[in-house]
Amino acid sequence: MTGCTKMSGSRITRIVIDHDLCVGSTMCLGVDPARFDLDDKAQAIFVGTDIDETLAREAAEVCPVAAIKLVFEE
Amino acid sequence: MIVVDDDLLDPALIAEPFRYYRRLREEMPIHYNERWRGWVVSSYEDVARALRDKRMLADTITPYFQTKLTQEERKRFAPTYEVLNSWVVFLDPPKHTRLRKIFSKAFTPSSVEQMRGQVQTIVRETLDGWAGRSEIDLIGDYASTLPANVIATVIGAPPEDLHLFHRWADDLTNLLHGGVGTELRLENAQTAILEFKDYLQDLYDDHVRHPRDDMMNWLMDVEREDELLTPDDVLYACMLLLNAGHETTQNLIANSIATLIEQPENMEALAREPELIKTAIEECLRLNGPMKGTMRIAGEDMQIRGEEIKKGERIMLLMAAANRDPEKFENPDKFDIRRWPNSHLSFGHGIHFCLGAPLARLELELTLRELPKRFKTMRLTEAAKYQPRILSRSIEPPLRLTIAA
Repeated sequence: MTGCTKMSGSRITRIVIDHDLCVGSTMCLGVDPARFDLDDKAQAIFVGTDIDETLAREAAEVCPVAAIKLVFEE
Repeated sequence: MIVVDDDLLDPALIAEPFRYYRRLREEMPIHYNERWRGWVVSSYEDVARALRDKRMLADTITPYFQTKLTQEERKRFAPTYEVLNSWVVFLDPPKHTRLRKIFSKAFTPSSVEQMRGQVQTIVRETLDGWAGRSEIDLIGDYASTLPANVIATVIGAPPEDLHLFHRWADDLTNLLHGGVGTELRLENAQTAILEFKDYLQDLYDDHVRHPRDDMMNWLMDVEREDELLTPDDVLYACMLLLNAGHETTQNLIANSIATLIEQPENMEALAREPELIKTAIEECLRLNGPMKGTMRIAGEDMQIRGEEIKKGERIMLLMAAANRDPEKFENPDKFDIRRWPNSHLSFGHGIHFCLGAPLARLELELTLRELPKRFKTMRLTEAAKYQPRILSRSIEPPLRLTIAA
């Protein structure tokens, strides 16, 4: 396997944002402004066409309400 | 335009603001309060929207210094302004964005989870100290000491200095939560700030000589890498952490316990089913949280529900009123420790969402794990008395409880 040397385990296939939890802190937009955005209710949405593993993990990590769930390849 | 002259510090309103909030939501969800000299917003939708509105500025400090103080006072209180004006809670983008990002890494749910062991030790040791007692002051013996202990540990200050933190935090809180600053309050706050800064400077120097694994050290690492950050920024950040993590958490714990023990079956349920603690915390925050409202300044002329708000006018956003809006919550006045989902606004919403929320939740969680397990009965000896504050909802110490195992 090449790349992903820092990562243990499998690839991220999907990013899910729980809107019961999201408070629109915009921290994820700060981490990866090209792939996260706010919808018209100021809740975070993932708008990326691809996933940057490092930034995805960082966005999930800095979310103050842990609303970003990373879905891994089985 | 509805204009009222209601006294927000009226004793009846301080004791029980929720009936008044209901009237506001129903009859004048946005109105101008002449006595407070600002707009008051109370429905869930309006408060939530305003909290995430970029035109609503959080820098309430600069207008206060510019308009309320004479030139001579501005000069005299410049050190206070410098500190408050560096606090991320009073900053707007873009400066806010940069600073918030730095802090947020230290307060993510997972980094706070690593503090669990330390917080649990403080909780248990404090409660062990109650052995043999049948009456305690929940605030003096617990709710005020726990958050101060936790924050001191987090920034790496020795516990024997805690009494100093209490005094400094009180003097700052009187200025900030009072809503109105008198010259004496400013004077006291400035003395506290200068002493506090000297103290933290010594602590900073000590960290330079003896690096260790705590938040001050971590902020110092960030400061060395980020050329825009200065050593003073680190000191002011620690001041903010201590101040923000202090009284609000004290109020959270005291208000929550006072609300929970009104019905003894709540504590019994928590002892029997600890998995209820998570939803109980959110319900305590919703129904009787530590802050009634927060303040913003209109950054430009704008409209809310057809009302014309002028640039520079101040706006009070009543989270405590929004949290009982029947449009959002079913049976809003009912205290239900099983309520879920519970999108209360007690920690705010949007870019200023409380950075310390995970830590505050952790402190209350561990409290609710230990207290019901140790004490079968907990009763207030008299009704809780709330302090005359406009923005915070704060029980006046002592809050005496009779306890029995």
